[in-house]
Amino acid sequence: MAMQPHSKKRVCYYYDSDIGNYYYGQGHPMKPHRIRMTHNLLLNYGLYRKMEIYRPHKATADEMTKFHSDDYIRFLRSIRPDNMNEYNKQMQRFNVGEDCPVFDGLYEFCQLSAGGSVAAAVKLNKQASEICINWGGGLHHAKKSEASGFCYVNDIVLGILELLKYYQRVLYIDIDVHHGDGVEEAFYTTDRVMTVSFHKYGEYFPGTGDLRDIGAGKGKYYAVNIPLRDGMDDESYESIFVPIISKVMETFQPSAVVLQCGADSLTGDRLGCFNLTVRGHGRCVELVKRFGLPFLLVGGGGYTIRNVSRCWTYETSVALGVEIANELPYNDYFEYFGPDFKLHISPSNMSNQNTPEYLEKIKNRLFENLRMLPHAPGVQVQAIPEDAVNDESEDEDKIDKDERLPQSEKDKRITGEGELSDSEDEGEGGRRDNRSYRAPQRKRPRLDKDLAHHKDDTNNEDSKDDVKNVSNLEEPKKEATPSA
Amino acid sequence: MHVLTRGVRPSIPPARRTGQCYGKHTFAIDVAQEAIDNFSRDKVKFGWKDGCSFEGISKTTQRDSRSFGIDVEHSLEEHIAAMEEESTELPGTDGLAPKQRHQAKHRELFLSRHVETLPATHIRGKCTVTLLNETESLLSYLNKDDAFFYCLVFDPSQKTLLADKGEIRVGSRYQTEVTNLLKEEPRNSEDLETLVWTPEHGLTDRQIDQFLVVSRSVGTFARALDCSSSVKQPSLHMSAAAASRDITLFHAMDTLHKSGYSIEGALSSLVPASGPVLCRDEMEEWSASEANLFEEALDKYGKDFTDIRQDFLPWKTLKNLVEYYYMWKTTDRYVQQKRVKAVEAESKLKQVYIPNYNKPNPALVSSGGGAGAGGAPAAAGKAGAVLNGGTNGTAAPNLCASCQVTNSNQWYAWGPQHLQYRLCGSCWQYWKKYGGLKTAGVFGESEAEAAKGAREGDETALSASHRPHRCTVLNCAKEFKLRAHLARHVATAHGAGEGARPVMKTRAAFYLRASPFTRLARRLARALRRPRHYAHSPFSPINLHQVKHECTLAMAGGVGAGIGAEVRGAARARGPVGAVAARLAAAHGGAAPRAQDWLTLTPRDRMPAPNHVAFPKPPKAPDGSLMYERVASRAELEARRNEPAPAPVLTPAPPLKRRAYDDINGLDMYYVVLQEPPRPPHPPHPYTMEALLG
Repeated sequence: MAMQPHSKKRVCYYYDSDIGNYYYGQGHPMKPHRIRMTHNLLLNYGLYRKMEIYRPHKATADEMTKFHSDDYIRFLRSIRPDNMNEYNKQMQRFNVGEDCPVFDGLYEFCQLSAGGSVAAAVKLNKQASEICINWGGGLHHAKKSEASGFCYVNDIVLGILELLKYYQRVLYIDIDVHHGDGVEEAFYTTDRVMTVSFHKYGEYFPGTGDLRDIGAGKGKYYAVNIPLRDGMDDESYESIFVPIISKVMETFQPSAVVLQCGADSLTGDRLGCFNLTVRGHGRCVELVKRFGLPFLLVGGGGYTIRNVSRCWTYETSVALGVEIANELPYNDYFEYFGPDFKLHISPSNMSNQNTPEYLEKIKNRLFENLRMLPHAPGVQVQAIPEDAVNDESEDEDKIDKDERLPQSEKDKRITGEGELSDSEDEGEGGRRDNRSYRAPQRKRPRLDKDLAHHKDDTNNEDSKDDVKNVSNLEEPKKEATPSA
Repeated sequence: MHVLTRGVRPSIPPARRTGQCYGKHTFAIDVAQEAIDNFSRDKVKFGWKDGCSFEGISKTTQRDSRSFGIDVEHSLEEHIAAMEEESTELPGTDGLAPKQRHQAKHRELFLSRHVETLPATHIRGKCTVTLLNETESLLSYLNKDDAFFYCLVFDPSQKTLLADKGEIRVGSRYQTEVTNLLKEEPRNSEDLETLVWTPEHGLTDRQIDQFLVVSRSVGTFARALDCSSSVKQPSLHMSAAAASRDITLFHAMDTLHKSGYSIEGALSSLVPASGPVLCRDEMEEWSASEANLFEEALDKYGKDFTDIRQDFLPWKTLKNLVEYYYMWKTTDRYVQQKRVKAVEAESKLKQVYIPNYNKPNPALVSSGGGAGAGGAPAAAGKAGAVLNGGTNGTAAPNLCASCQVTNSNQWYAWGPQHLQYRLCGSCWQYWKKYGGLKTAGVFGESEAEAAKGAREGDETALSASHRPHRCTVLNCAKEFKLRAHLARHVATAHGAGEGARPVMKTRAAFYLRASPFTRLARRLARALRRPRHYAHSPFSPINLHQVKHECTLAMAGGVGAGIGAEVRGAARARGPVGAVAARLAAAHGGAAPRAQDWLTLTPRDRMPAPNHVAFPKPPKAPDGSLMYERVASRAELEARRNEPAPAPVLTPAPPLKRRAYDDINGLDMYYVVLQEPPRPPHPPHPYTMEALLG
């Protein structure tokens, strides 16, 4: 177990000890207890002591109605297993009953899950942390006024909405085996959130996520769907994840990233059909982390609970930049991890129906779409000048994102190399997307006052390293996690 | 199991799917079942409605355990023919050779949501079925064996083929409002979260570890002091193990945090005045009898914890139960129970032996591919067909119906027996797997394909022995074996507008509203308009160019002002009917009649008499009434039939009626023969003759 000074981040972790004891019902694959199992593993791996641990508040109805409709939340608040019969009509209307059963403490469960993600987003807004983790969140299917796919309240949307208060553009990445339809739908028509979902497509829940679904209105080209087939393995996954995410970072230039780490894309999942190992899954976290943007990690699916807790434990260690042993430490749930009691799992021998040609074609199509973004790679895009005065930035906000930028606007964005700095405008009420990902080749000279806003030198140094790594993402990099 | 169906693709609006997929398995079954091979399709009757749904899945051809799904399959197959012409072209077929395009169609399946269990012996092998992606070329499927694709899904509940594509809905009811960037400070975190641990402390890892050991020791000691614990954990080891559970560790961490990461402060709060702190989780909290109750309840109710709580452990909360359950699963008792269950399951599991599929194939032609026509009839005879060798001479029987080879190790009879087609070994394999022939244009393939084949000079189409039905449309001249096929072709290929509808469908009545120009053209190009001719031959083309030409000429010829009147067709003032009648009479040279003359009846004797009266009136009785023959009532007929011998009046009708009965026991026939008069009044109906002889 060793710290890596080099990618050490301030990590905040949200957990409520009650969350493990909510129970969806007999035979239901969704088991909140996996979150508790992860938590116990984290303690015994000694990762617990390296993070800030928070107990989230229970999100209020007011907070939830920032996205959800009032009557839906009112319904969730009032329905209980013992008064279900009075709500037959509403249950149908809100799709509560079958996949999304009414269980004891349903509303509290939603409150905790949403409370964690919202608190985490606020934390990132305050720039009090680089990475926030809420394994209790990630319920990406929930719609504005409809439950779906075991999800009732969409904590991700609530979290992103919170982030949007201070970050101009938020990137949402979904590596659950199911399509992240709830989040995509919520932000389908906005250009301030790009949703990127990697999922199994074809006769599979929820049925959305076609390659051709790219967003609508202002949000056209801001929804990216990667339809995949059975048997995705680590190698194929990385071969599509890396180029897509790199290209998205390059063109969209997000100011913050939310990663939904649904663990049902792991091999041997009860509902999933991919063949990823914990390492391959965690690799995505690692890759996204390297961009050094404010980063919110949430849970999601995952129905073989021993593997879910393995996966999220490993991903917590990745977020922390700490290497952990393959040998699982003893914990309350140790027996679940038999017969080998190891952290990592091996892929099955299932065949991978995603041929390299198929992935290549998907990738090319998506690249074509990404090229349609206003920040086209062909156009030299410059970071927004840090010292831009407010009225100018307002001008820029009025510009239609689907249109090519007028020359005056482009000129404004050209910045002398020396002018770039980090948090210069912080606290002045100016643009807050100062940590937007910028093209990797440019180095950012630090100004002295930067240091005042950063906790320590290493931190800043380190984000620079992350940025540099980006250009090399295509080749698997080993030195990112050296063992020491 | 999801059965895969095959066929063609109509265009269907996407349907939104609901419901979580809890996991599914897709198997492929041999797509070309014998039922298809034998063309026993006639029993399956389907009708398309609205271009996409089935009208009732009526009869099924259940011969053995093969069942519904497959019937759906070949009924769909049946609709290849019906739908192929009007089907929307598959995506990605561009740039494929005609033959490849033909074969690509065989790779399309329809996933079915119909779940069915089939005997394992029907499994012939593995295949991959993937959703066709628009970026893919169909070639990638053709290049792989046993690779299929699907675009549409058959939903048995709606009896519809659906494109399984959900949609992201757009509207204020679905999207969220996105806030603008705020300038004020972010929300206060204090009301959103409570800090439980921070890594920003002065302690080393070692110190924390030490503190954890201490807290465990305190826990062990606390258990020694606690009476109830000493019963549960009689040995020190067990107490120590219990004190090492995660709850103690979490408590230790909390204590450290609360005491501001001062070891001393934390230690003192571990041993307050009330005695050493004892943290117990559900696992330890539960007594042995409670644990037994729980196991019993689990056995009875499964994991329905609400019921378990209600009936067995009402003093526990649901959360207690859930927590205990997940911990109980780590215990020896659970492991033992699992082992017992596993052994039971193992003993229950019967070894499934799937023998190699070596059922004699009835289609196999045993006398190998010899030259000459002798082989095929012999084979046909073996396959139980009626011997009528060589009479129809439809196709050269020594060729493979698909690839035209003459040499093959094995031959298989294929198609309707009277046509005596056969396939070579490889084409047979292809047929069995993909339900089609390698090359287009043979019987059983669609006319569209056949037509394409013909156009491309691919002469694999039937050399028809009977007069084909030829399409009369200009520049088309496609030929069809059946009149119905031709009719469909005409309707779909040359029909107006989209025309992509099967002819069988009743159409809505329509009103043809002719444009002024059309109406004008009707008058101007009168010479070309031969309504009687075209009424008789509705399919013969009208040369529109010529009509147009004629019209433009006529219009240029300065009919000018007249045109408007012509087109409008204004009503002419003809005057009242009486005046018209007078005019007509004058025109015919008769005297101008008085107004009511034409209304008076013609006298009876001056009426024209017909040459032949089909039903002459019966003779009249002296009283002037008509004498009809009396028609016997039903009762009288019955009574007459039961009489022993009304013999000579035997008409062919009763034997015809009773034929089934005669056929069955022959008794009546004997009776009939006995009673048969030497010369029946009419020659018997052929059926009756047969019955009499047989």
